[in-house]
Amino acid sequence: MAPWSGSTLWAATILLLSWICAAKTVTYDFNVTWVTGNPDGMTERKVVGINGQWPLPIIEVDKGDQLIVNMHNGLGDKSATIHFHGMYQNGTNEMDGPSMVTQCPIPPGADFTYNFTVNQNGTYWYHCHTDFCYPDGYRQALIVHDDNAYFHDEYDEEFVVTVSDWYHELVEGIAPDFLSVYNPTGAEPIPDAFLFNDTLNSSLPVKPNTTYLIRIINIGAFVAQYFYIDGHNFTIVEIDGVYTEPTEADILYIGIAQRYSILVTTKNSTDQNYAIVTVADSVLLDTIPPTLQLNNTNWLEYNASAPHLQANITVDQASDLNPFDDFTLVPYDNMPLLPDPDYEITVAVNMEVMGNGFGYALLDNISYTAPKVPTLYSVLSSGNLSTNSEIYGEFTHPFILEHNDVVQIVLNNNDGGSHPFHLHGHNFQVIQRAPSYGPTFYDYADGDPVPYDPSNHTAFPATPARRDVFVLPPQGYFVIRFVADNPGVWFFHCHIDWHLSQGLGMLLIEAPTQMQERMSIPQQHLDVCQAASVLTTGNAAGNTENFLDLAGQNSQQSFLPNGFTARGIVALVFSVISALLGVVFIVVYGLSDLKFHNKENPEIAMVIENLPKGAAETTVVNDYKD
Amino acid sequence: MPDVFAAQVFFIVFRECLEAVIIVSVLLSFLKQCLGQPDQDQQIYKRLVRQVWAGSIGGIVVCLIIGGAFIGVFYGLGKDIWSESEDLWEGIFYLIATVIITIMGLALLRINKTKEKWKVKIAQALVDRSKHAHTTSRLSSWSRRYAMFILPFITTMREGVEAVVFVGGVSLGLPATEFPLPVVTGILAGLLVGYLIYRGGNAMSIQIFLIASTSVLYLIAAGMFSKAIWSLQFHTFAQKVGSDVAEEGDGPGSYDIRETVWHVNCCNPEIDNGWDVFQALLGWQNSATYGSVISYNMYWVGIMLAISCMLYEERTGSLPLKREAVALMLKVPGLKNYVKRKQAISNDKTAEIVRQGQAHLATGILRDAEGEK
Repeated sequence: MAPWSGSTLWAATILLLSWICAAKTVTYDFNVTWVTGNPDGMTERKVVGINGQWPLPIIEVDKGDQLIVNMHNGLGDKSATIHFHGMYQNGTNEMDGPSMVTQCPIPPGADFTYNFTVNQNGTYWYHCHTDFCYPDGYRQALIVHDDNAYFHDEYDEEFVVTVSDWYHELVEGIAPDFLSVYNPTGAEPIPDAFLFNDTLNSSLPVKPNTTYLIRIINIGAFVAQYFYIDGHNFTIVEIDGVYTEPTEADILYIGIAQRYSILVTTKNSTDQNYAIVTVADSVLLDTIPPTLQLNNTNWLEYNASAPHLQANITVDQASDLNPFDDFTLVPYDNMPLLPDPDYEITVAVNMEVMGNGFGYALLDNISYTAPKVPTLYSVLSSGNLSTNSEIYGEFTHPFILEHNDVVQIVLNNNDGGSHPFHLHGHNFQVIQRAPSYGPTFYDYADGDPVPYDPSNHTAFPATPARRDVFVLPPQGYFVIRFVADNPGVWFFHCHIDWHLSQGLGMLLIEAPTQMQERMSIPQQHLDVCQAASVLTTGNAAGNTENFLDLAGQNSQQSFLPNGFTARGIVALVFSVISALLGVVFIVVYGLSDLKFHNKENPEIAMVIENLPKGAAETTVVNDYKD
Repeated sequence: MPDVFAAQVFFIVFRECLEAVIIVSVLLSFLKQCLGQPDQDQQIYKRLVRQVWAGSIGGIVVCLIIGGAFIGVFYGLGKDIWSESEDLWEGIFYLIATVIITIMGLALLRINKTKEKWKVKIAQALVDRSKHAHTTSRLSSWSRRYAMFILPFITTMREGVEAVVFVGGVSLGLPATEFPLPVVTGILAGLLVGYLIYRGGNAMSIQIFLIASTSVLYLIAAGMFSKAIWSLQFHTFAQKVGSDVAEEGDGPGSYDIRETVWHVNCCNPEIDNGWDVFQALLGWQNSATYGSVISYNMYWVGIMLAISCMLYEERTGSLPLKREAVALMLKVPGLKNYVKRKQAISNDKTAEIVRQGQAHLATGILRDAEGEK
């Protein structure tokens, strides 16, 4: 009886506790070190491991839990951070993770504790958020379970599926060729493989007549992937942590950092396994090496002993697939369209070669360049000037948002590529996008970019889909809305890691006054800055005396000079002068030839005259007679 | 301007054609002087004139065959291999063409001097033939007999093949439509000017014409030299960039900013109509590099130095330091014989050759006369 009553007591205590404080604390100790990995079986390489393991552990919490991650940077040669992608971090902006935005890069040997409450549900992920870091394997799923999800009782089991591009070389080896004078188009490095749960040709064992929840996350650095299951339709129930009205679909297009939860009901019979097909969006790739396998097959495994056949891909190229348009999804909470914005930001994506010959990415004319002080720390140390965007430096591209304003971002794309844009700290309503997913997606790619026209657009949806990563179509646009109810410094950036390193991002500084009132930085964070030799007070230039003096701020490259600069004019003038002088010399030389004219060479004349009469004739004639 | 006129091609064809015509015309006038007098055997004179013409035309025909084969190989076989590194080949061919045009171009200005030179050469040829008259090998007797055929034959063939090689090389990458017009007009212009020179029209106006055309030729050559350097530089850049360079047209990224002296996002001679003529004639580049600008200027400096030296030599008969240079070269084993031979010729002077020739001629004629008895 004792054990029985003991467990009853324990269960009762749990119930009581959950009733009192509604949540528990989940702690992870992450010792981040280099390990080796060979997920595609082709090349063994160094990867970022946690506690000696790679693939990395999935973080799992329940809605309402306190999540504590004690990170120790044991990499030895590389700074790192962790960003918990999709976490609102309301009130804990300092735990968000992007280096030089809300914290200092954590140098080798340093410790950093992330500690925040997870008051949201769904599928997320975590990854390193310093330049050139997470493609080395430092990324994994973060799942927030929610027993109260409306579809919680509709499935029996769940799977987490990550898809990802994969490089055989370390990012630090790829980066110098990427940001280079020899890569003027900014052609992104071509991956060597595409992984499924950090491996290839794997199986999800399933039972017949059963419904599964599959959480799909693109944890790659560059390439979006199409996803479908042969012979199965599925029901979308969540995107980026937002539950949606159950919506039938057959093909998904999963941009970098996007998440979908789908319900899949298995078939009746077990005589066959079905291919789960992932197709890399090859339109994003400048070249497709013959060794790169764009289509990958994994299996819904009904029967382990039945054959596992590679999928038969029926389209010539990935873009022929017609994916479900996430714009049309309706959130399960039916949150209505936000009212007209109090504040609107309109920017355009540009890819340009700058003065050093490297390709950069810009929003309007600004390529995000990290400041000398993490922007959050500038907010907290700037007093009354925190509402003046100047102090954050021109090249962090800051926008100050008033607390609780409705903010609208209009993002136009002057580039021929698609860009998955992510906003930290929020999900946002997607209220306009052109062209939409499907056969028309590339309609604007050739010709001139089409910007958003506020006076001529389709009606905004009444209950717009919400998510935290939204794909911007080639040379098209999207419009998003959200409420600035989360004081903090939030990065809005393209989640293609290469583009972020090219500067495709900007900062939203939301309610700086409220931040100063509510936030304080843990001492450990400041210690990390000291270890990293990064300032913790001052404006973007590190100036603490005069916040309006930005002398010495990090700035982007100059723009390419167009046309003739001073040296060009000098060079051209010199060339013209040399050519003219040269021609003068030729004329002089040529005119002096006239003295030869009609001045019969005396010796020649002599030869001919002195020939015995008819000599030449005779010679020739004799030759003739021979 | 549509792609129908490649200016370089015109000038090269013109130049080679003119040279051939001059040699033929010198031959004809030499024959006329020696044999074409009314008191001489008109039949032999006419036969020899026919030989000259036959030789010239024969040379042209052979050169057309060789040239056709060359172009055929060039475009048939080579294009595939070369198109991949077109800039490299363009650079190399332009470099070779520049060197040859530069060396030969100034001779064009010395047309009167050249004529004299050829007269001496022909006289010398006559002398040599009579000198070797006693050797009766078939080859020599044949060559003696058909000297008036062989000389123009070889000349026209050589100039023709030269022209074909240049046209083929220089115009790598030019569309085929740009060829016919400049080739035809180049030949016509060459023939016309050659004829004018033969007829001995107004020496002054012919000379002015030659000066003008030589100036243009050198402007082209300077541009080609600059373009050669540019192409070689661009080749190395494009190699490192990969196929992306072509994607960029003339915009940012189509050039190496570190090497750039000026760049305008237009007026690209490779793709914008009209600017290719500007490039062909004056070496225009919309994306000038340090290499292309410096080489252009150095080319002209080199030309000016060369002309100064030649004028100085013509006036004083020698160059400063020439004696020292020759003395030095005599000590170098490899150069020794070459210098000696050169020395022999230059020491001889024309008068000496001619005097020797006279003697040989005289004895030859005497012997011939005896032989007839």
